[in-house]
Amino acid sequence: MTYEEFADTRLSALLRYAVMLTGDPHQAQDLVQDTMVRVQLNWRRVVRSEAPERYVRRMLTNQYIDWRRGSWARRVLLRGEPDEAVPAPSDHAQSAVDRDQIWSWLSRLPRRQRATLVLRYYEDLPDAEIAEILGCAVGTVRSSISRALATLRAETVEVH
Amino acid sequence: MIEDDLRAAFARHETLAPPTGPLRAAIDRVAHRRRRRRLRLRLGGTALALVAATLVGFTALAPPPPAPSGQVAAPTSPAPTGALNVLLLGVDAAGGGRRADSVLLVHVPADRSRLYLVSIPRDLPVSLPGGGRDKLNVSFAAGAGRTVDLAAGYRNTRQVVAQLVGVPIDAGAVLTYPATRELTDAVGGVPVCLPAAVRSVHTDRLFPAGCQRLGGAAAVDLLRQRYRLRDGALDRDRNAGRYAAGLLRRIQEQGVLTDPAGRQQGVIPVGYMIDSGAGTAGPATST
Repeated sequence: MTYEEFADTRLSALLRYAVMLTGDPHQAQDLVQDTMVRVQLNWRRVVRSEAPERYVRRMLTNQYIDWRRGSWARRVLLRGEPDEAVPAPSDHAQSAVDRDQIWSWLSRLPRRQRATLVLRYYEDLPDAEIAEILGCAVGTVRSSISRALATLRAETVEVH
Repeated sequence: MIEDDLRAAFARHETLAPPTGPLRAAIDRVAHRRRRRRLRLRLGGTALALVAATLVGFTALAPPPPAPSGQVAAPTSPAPTGALNVLLLGVDAAGGGRRADSVLLVHVPADRSRLYLVSIPRDLPVSLPGGGRDKLNVSFAAGAGRTVDLAAGYRNTRQVVAQLVGVPIDAGAVLTYPATRELTDAVGGVPVCLPAAVRSVHTDRLFPAGCQRLGGAAAVDLLRQRYRLRDGALDRDRNAGRYAAGLLRRIQEQGVLTDPAGRQQGVIPVGYMIDSGAGTAGPATST
């Protein structure tokens, strides 16, 4: 497989994955670009691995977790169009039924937990594969998922 | 169920994903730029890896200065793997209280893809191993004392630098004026690109701005200049870095240091003290 073939077939999936990780299309683009530049420069090493796609997904995930640790929160995004106006919720119950509430709660999770959720509930990967991508034990994946779900559940209960 | 909500939330936001076309182009652009830069650096990097390998390949060498005889040992250990930190010291004229005015730390990463030259200002206040604080360049004299023992001075400065930067130093070399002169001539001159013209306070020689190839005497002359430079010693350090980069490139082009015949002819000059990194038991003169 050449780099071009890989990019042709996998780039959009990776981009969607990055959107789920970062929750923001611009940060997702940055993340994918940084990763794919390294992929292209080290293509021989990537293609030598038994599953290039998993290898790249792992690179991207690690980059998301480690990359400029802590600085993303301080980063200001400058772009032409203003953010979509969020109507002020009349009360908490109202905001709880807001379809995107859970999406915004995701952004408060630690990155590693969020990555675990994305791999589990968006990519539908089995625990073993998630563990491989995150470079941790299967048990860690499970506890990470249950901790993240508990956090989200607590948020839900709180606003109800 | 929160799991189902999550799946639904992810699925809903798939539309956020931007088109891949512009991204693909941006990736190619950045990769292209980086590949070009890597190519440029690789030249220097290979040269340095070569020198580092050669340095470590030698056993320690420090000919006793009064009886110059440039003897070099055959490589005794295999080429090193892993990252390397090499300390290069340029010392001033002989005599009591010799100072290391140029301190260059060269980092060679494990993959040998590039090199990092870090110049450490000689005026940096440091704690000396014997106690007390003084400038970095004094650490050499503090080690060597009134003697002309390059190895002792090197060991002292190495200890100070290792402590200062917090990295182990695997190998190193001390360059005196004569050694620099001979080494420069041995590789057929060293290319140096100056951003501004420099006029020597010692010889009144003018080094024009731009690239030029310097012979041994000229190189030493340039490396000594400090007074007429805008940033003084800092500019001199920059020139030392430029010289070092040029020297390494020449060494690679010529393969001088790796050529056994070249060594036989005394290419490694007197006063070129090399630390093999193997314990550095002292100025072991080898055969």
